[in-house]
Amino acid sequence: MTQCPHSLHAPHSLPTPLPPFDRKLLRLMRLAVPAAERDEWLRSWQAELWHQHHHTPPVSLSTSFPTSLMKPHALASGLIQDALWLRTESWRQALAGTATLCLATLLLLLAITILPALVTAGSWKAFAAFLAHNEQRFAIETLLIVFVSLAASAGYMETTTLRHRHVSHISLIRRPLFFAAKTTLIMLFTFMLSTDVCLPLHAYSPLSAELLQNLLFLLMALIGLRWSSHDGEARCKQCLRSLAAPSRVGRPSHNFLEWSGTELVCRHGHGMLTVPEIETSWCRSSAWICEGSRF
Amino acid sequence: MISPRLSHSAALILKALSLGHRFGFDIMEITGLPSGTVYPALRRLERDALVQSEWEPEDEATASQRPARRYYEITKAGKAAVLAATERYPLLAMLVPEKHA
Repeated sequence: MTQCPHSLHAPHSLPTPLPPFDRKLLRLMRLAVPAAERDEWLRSWQAELWHQHHHTPPVSLSTSFPTSLMKPHALASGLIQDALWLRTESWRQALAGTATLCLATLLLLLAITILPALVTAGSWKAFAAFLAHNEQRFAIETLLIVFVSLAASAGYMETTTLRHRHVSHISLIRRPLFFAAKTTLIMLFTFMLSTDVCLPLHAYSPLSAELLQNLLFLLMALIGLRWSSHDGEARCKQCLRSLAAPSRVGRPSHNFLEWSGTELVCRHGHGMLTVPEIETSWCRSSAWICEGSRF
Repeated sequence: MISPRLSHSAALILKALSLGHRFGFDIMEITGLPSGTVYPALRRLERDALVQSEWEPEDEATASQRPARRYYEITKAGKAAVLAATERYPLLAMLVPEKHA
């Protein structure tokens, strides 16, 4: 988009002033627009509103669309939605793929799964009693599942750690913290989800319900932790954002001659992840190449 | 290049732009779509690089005693998307008349 030539001059001069309602609406909605785009947005909408109020429909259209555009506030909905779109888009760009968004989504999912269990239990007191009753079982199962899951992915973690020489110390602390928070939320979420499924059956067959819940919890937690491991791998080791722009490099049939696999890059230019197509003796697992490193 | 799949309203807006209708209010008038649909759709199309916008030259607007406005123009990728959309929605071409200078 070309830069507004008068972006520093606000308010913009119009040949005739806008009606008071439009001026108030513009003043109110400009607060919703991100600061960097506010002036340009204001100028665009002043022009659109001015043209609406001084518009004569072409003869060919005057019979087909006679009334809707002639309403004084026909553009109000567009103006509001445009401002809100800019605001949500700026949030989307700021949060897309971040660790914060990932944790917030998991937290939201956990809150959603708590509701059915709460309804089935009948009250907060009964729900708290249920949690207290299952607390020990949850802790033991969680420890076992996390241990098995970590043991299964130990090879990968060892390999990648060796290649993270250029990552800053803060990032090295943030990554395990993020992993721990994500793991905790996944375990709680899967436990609550299995509870939601099995709690209604508890009144009819407590033993079967408990057994089914254990199995469901185990299965869903393992799937969740597997996803968590993949998600962690596909994040920037510096800023923890999801990596983008996957591109295939090389051909598997030329594996003895050249590297083949997928490359993903950090949107902020912190580095690149190379994921080999086939495991070879010289390239066993994914490698993170930092920006400025001498790999 | 793969053309993005457009919604019916986005295709209609893109078609209007390809036929020479260049600003939001004009597109509303020609398509009959409400402003709440047209303006956010234009933003999305611009974000996806299917259209680009530029300000009308200030002296042209001043000569006509009106404020300058932002004109939208369809890009090369947008033209490809319109062709694909016209195949998908065959009635699209009949819904929007060409702009007369």
